[in-house]
Amino acid sequence: MLSTALLQIASLTKFYGEQLALEDVGFSVQAGEILGLIGPNGAGKTTLLEAIAGLLPVDSGEIRFRDQPLPAHRRREAIFYLPDGVRPYADQTAQQALTLFAGIYRRPADEVSEIISAVGLRPVLAKRIHALSKGYNRRLIIALGFLTPHPILLMDEPFDGFDFRQSRDMMDTLRRVASGGRTLLLSIHQLRDAEQVCDRFALLADGRIRGVGTLEELRGRANRPGGTLEDIFLALT
Amino acid sequence: MPSPETSWARNAPIRPLFAKELREITSGRALWTLLLFACPLVGYSFFQAMSLYGEASAAAANLPVLATSLSPLDGILVPTFGSFYVAVTLLFPFVAIRVLGEEKQSGGLGLLVQLPYRTATLVGVKLAAVLCAWLLCAIPVLSAVVAWWMVGGHLSAAETLTLFFGHLLYGLIIGAVALFAASITESSATAAIVTLAFTVGSWVLDFTIAGRPGWLEWLASLSLTQVIRTFEQGLLSIGLIAGVAVAICGFAALAAIWLPPGVAIREKLMRAALCVGAAAAALLAVSQFKTSIDVTEDRRNSFAVADANQLAKLTKPLTITVHLAAEDPRYIDLRRNVLAKLDRVMPHVSTRLATARHSIVSSVGDDAYGEIEYRYGTRQDTRQDTSRSTSPREVLPLIYGLAGVQPPAPIPSAEFPGYPLVADGAFSLLWFLAVLPILIVLAWWRSRRLPSNNRTFLKGGRHEEWHESDVDGRRERRCLAAAGNCGAGLQGGFLQRNHRRRTQVTGSGGRHLADRD
Repeated sequence: MLSTALLQIASLTKFYGEQLALEDVGFSVQAGEILGLIGPNGAGKTTLLEAIAGLLPVDSGEIRFRDQPLPAHRRREAIFYLPDGVRPYADQTAQQALTLFAGIYRRPADEVSEIISAVGLRPVLAKRIHALSKGYNRRLIIALGFLTPHPILLMDEPFDGFDFRQSRDMMDTLRRVASGGRTLLLSIHQLRDAEQVCDRFALLADGRIRGVGTLEELRGRANRPGGTLEDIFLALT
Repeated sequence: MPSPETSWARNAPIRPLFAKELREITSGRALWTLLLFACPLVGYSFFQAMSLYGEASAAAANLPVLATSLSPLDGILVPTFGSFYVAVTLLFPFVAIRVLGEEKQSGGLGLLVQLPYRTATLVGVKLAAVLCAWLLCAIPVLSAVVAWWMVGGHLSAAETLTLFFGHLLYGLIIGAVALFAASITESSATAAIVTLAFTVGSWVLDFTIAGRPGWLEWLASLSLTQVIRTFEQGLLSIGLIAGVAVAICGFAALAAIWLPPGVAIREKLMRAALCVGAAAAALLAVSQFKTSIDVTEDRRNSFAVADANQLAKLTKPLTITVHLAAEDPRYIDLRRNVLAKLDRVMPHVSTRLATARHSIVSSVGDDAYGEIEYRYGTRQDTRQDTSRSTSPREVLPLIYGLAGVQPPAPIPSAEFPGYPLVADGAFSLLWFLAVLPILIVLAWWRSRRLPSNNRTFLKGGRHEEWHESDVDGRRERRCLAAAGNCGAGLQGGFLQRNHRRRTQVTGSGGRHLADRD
């Protein structure tokens, strides 16, 4: 199982000064799956995603891509991370931001157009990014991620700022992205959202992995047949 | 293949990144504020310079010998560029910081460092954008040069370009410092304080301790104002240019070291220490370059051609010991008229201030005060003489005597005629106080205009169906991801091309644009 994994995270440990943020974190991600990184606020989800993306130095641990070590300075060749709570290029328009990424990754206009349609950005293309609502800003960040060619996308709270219906639509979009061969690692604190979109889950609490698997596997581990992800999370953490 | 496919990373184009950096600079207020601030500053300096130059020129009409001292470099260009220097020193850091500070503050840095460029490329592109910003900021001062030319004023291309180049280097070094400051600080405000401390501190350093003896003189020589002064004198010093280039590259390299968030502080510190060491070694090496070119029309930094040729042949060491306080006007005269010129033309000249730690007051009563000793030759064969003169007319024959050579016969050359001009500068006030600011405001307004919705991304057309909803109190439209609409486009379009060996299954044929709202 591990040898076929696209991405393997092994024994990742991170301290902020004296405080332990990640403790011996390890799991693997299969190609084309959506893996949900589940945990409450402060569990270490963002720290873990930044560490995987190579944007945060770690104290120990290893990331392997297709069974080969992937050092921090080479992570951006395989992984693209979409952070939460950022509003980049605030004085530029959404269209200019998309043009930047499309230009860098040489995306043809029809592909860009498809992505814009897929995330529903077209009404605000000419708006400055600082004037976008939280939801549209989130769509823009996701669209930028879709414009990258990386096989693995890390998304920090991708449904933050969306209402129920918009979240459902974005989940559909993400599923199509994954079925196209791209691997998604989503950090989600809304367990109901995670349950609907993810193939497998990695439960994180206090910087430690408490369980990894499909919903059924986790139900078995937590001895909660028919239980929701919330039940399982409470049982395992 | 175990490693990721990275051909896109190796060939990522620079142009979109550069365009983004330029947009980042022009969309901020700092650039336009600087331009508007520079207009009256440069304009009034230019007007004043023209007035004073006109008065001196009027006097030269009655006394033609006065005309030979009238050089537009000193009379017009240096004071006009000087006001631009003030604007750049005080405001340009805010312009330069924007190219990195905004990204750090907005969280965009996380996206930036994941783009397929080396960190050095990212910083290099940002520095290139800063250079473009400086060129935009130079519009008022360049328009003053054009205005001077239009009223019939004389312009020496070499002098003007040298002065412009000196200010350009100054702007670039501020840009590099600003990038470094933005890379080590968390907010633009802190980065601005760090950069201003550097620029204004350097300025203060120059006028508070310049001319003081000992190590203070060395410290003052590090001031950026001193860098510009050399160019203002019409000297193109290879060593100085190389030194400034090393400093610019050094600060840019430090910015590149501190930029990536994924590198541990300890490693950054080690790399920074190596970088500082390499820069110091490079500065030491380039300080050995003594070559400089006197680009002035009146050859103010050089002896007469015959003397320069003769002195260049004197290859033995010349040691000059000056018994004058550093702030003594005679020493300043001697340095400008003799020592600096000797240093440029003779291969082995060393100068020592015997009273380096003394002031004029403390030297009263010292009989040797005011003497200048000249020693020429090797230890075994040294000849020595003393003079109190600061004029090359007396010093050069003394040196020829020590070297045992005859003073050269003068080579006839064209005398510097001087360029007197009496012109009314009132028109320039209209340009700098009204027309140019209005043009700048119009350009600013135009840069703030939102671009029209580009239809480039709509090629082929898409069927889109939108639902309206309210998110965060704003009206949003939602794309229905149903079969046959945009969702299908997603499924059959960019995904397949990206991750399934770019199979061309766009699924967009026959679809139409129905952007309903």
